[in-house]
Amino acid sequence: MAEVVRFENVGLRYGLGPEVLQDITFGLEAGSFHFLIGPSGAGKSSLLRLMYLAHLPTRGLISLFGRDVSTLPHEQLPKIRRRIGVMFQDFRLLPHLTAFDNVALPLRVAGVRESEIRRHVEELLTWVALENHMDVRPPTMSGGQQQRVAIARAVIARPKILYADEPTGNVDDRIAARLMHLFEELNKLGTTVIIATHNEAMVRELGRPILKLNAGRLEIIPSNGTSLESSPDAEEAV
Amino acid sequence: MRFRQLNLALEKDDTNRFLPWLIAFMVLLAALSIAGMLMLHQISGVFEHGIQDTMTVQIPAGENIEADEKNVSEALEALKKVDGVLSSNRISAGEISRLLKPWLGETAGSDGLPLPQIIDVEVDRSSNLTAEKLNDFLSPLIPGATVDDHSVWLTSLVDTLHSTELIALSVVFLITLATIGTVVFTTRTGMGIHRQTIEVLHFVGAQDEFIARQFATRAFIVGLQGGIVGILLAAPILYLFDYILRNLEEGLLPRASLDISIWISVGVIVPAVALIAMMTARSTVLKTLKKMV
Ligand SMILES: Nc1ncnc2c1ncn2[C@@H]1O[C@H](COP(=O)(O)OP(=O)(O)OP(=O)(O)O)[C@@H](O)[C@H]1O
Ligand SMILES: [Mg+2]
Repeated sequence: MAEVVRFENVGLRYGLGPEVLQDITFGLEAGSFHFLIGPSGAGKSSLLRLMYLAHLPTRGLISLFGRDVSTLPHEQLPKIRRRIGVMFQDFRLLPHLTAFDNVALPLRVAGVRESEIRRHVEELLTWVALENHMDVRPPTMSGGQQQRVAIARAVIARPKILYADEPTGNVDDRIAARLMHLFEELNKLGTTVIIATHNEAMVRELGRPILKLNAGRLEIIPSNGTSLESSPDAEEAV
Repeated sequence: MRFRQLNLALEKDDTNRFLPWLIAFMVLLAALSIAGMLMLHQISGVFEHGIQDTMTVQIPAGENIEADEKNVSEALEALKKVDGVLSSNRISAGEISRLLKPWLGETAGSDGLPLPQIIDVEVDRSSNLTAEKLNDFLSPLIPGATVDDHSVWLTSLVDTLHSTELIALSVVFLITLATIGTVVFTTRTGMGIHRQTIEVLHFVGAQDEFIARQFATRAFIVGLQGGIVGILLAAPILYLFDYILRNLEEGLLPRASLDISIWISVGVIVPAVALIAMMTARSTVLKTLKKMV
């Protein structure tokens, strides 16, 4: 299977600070499902930011959908971004738009017809149990409700890759299970899924392969549970 | 669908509410200074026209009315024979006292204060006729007659007006710059508030042009609002000014008024401001986006 994400010796530092990510080498196959774990401050969000093109790496190579991102012209990036869904750790919902309009945003940007938008958005908001909050604006929602709007916005356009940064941090177990089910459904349809989380019980329960970050270094734990160093594994894959 | 797209980024937040007012104030200043400058230009134009074709013959008051009459008719006869004189007109005593009233009050023209006789001479400037030549010709004929070349004192007046005009022009220029600066600055500040919106649109895959258009449209509307409010504030002030000018004591100043060309010049400020706001928003958003990956 083809790799949709490829990191080669990637390093990242913010400004003149220390490297928060060091020598990251791994590949994600299309249709795979990974958890991204590690203590707070380990660099999970930073790794995701590199993967959804919020930053370019300070060193190393990143390719998405088989294309080296450092050589991609600026005008082509929106097309790639439309194939990526992101649920940010801090949600980044637009406060002046209703839940409905926030979720509809990726579709509107892509020029989807309004009747179609209505159908899809309503269906998805119902799935995340927000059918009664479609016209509510984020500032008057609970943390868990905002989180679900953020997830809905990330998945509405059926992205090829989905990144979710701590998607179950603010919701009860029942809704967490439901959200995980949504991610698995999406994954069954072919979406590559990466979920950064602190929820170890959930990680254990789903038995998916794990990307484990510790102080900026990456370790890959396949679904059978045995730990492998990232570098040898990566070299095998090349 | 198109409509919705245009409204994606439209924020009805309070922070935006004072921006049109700031723009309105600058537009008010710009409108007043532009109208003022154009009227000054009108006035100096009238004077400039005056330079071109008139001289004045002044004959001091004689012993009695008969002597005055004789002097004046002799002068008029004599002037007919001068090359370059197109016509000459006696200015009546009534008109002289009316013209002098602002300076001399009611005593002008009364028996206590004898007035000189004045003849307006329309000359052809291309004929080389100077006030000096005319003076040399007239003074032997009519004792005490003097010729004033309007152009001598008018030229210095027009020069003064021109330099005033120049000052006004630079004031207009500075106010225009300040207006542009204000529009640019307020628009940029407004854009700062929208940074998160810009980022989110960027991450969900919107093209730079698409994002820029959202904000450019919004800024155009804000600029238009500010411009219209500014002009609405300026209009009554300009109207009052115009009214005062129309009712000024005659003779003090040539007539100047707010004609249609001035109103049009002032009106052009509105779309200009809206366009500046629009282009600023556009370039600010595009610059912000260029910095992102
Ligand atoms: N914008 C930034 N500028 C400078 N340093 C940053 C920035 N973002 C993150 N860092 C630093 O990078 C390191 C990794 O941060 P990151 O947010 O990736 O951690 P994380 O694993 O997501 O943590 P958490 O589990 O708490 O979300 C931290 O030391 C943090 O201080
Ligand atoms: Mg994080």
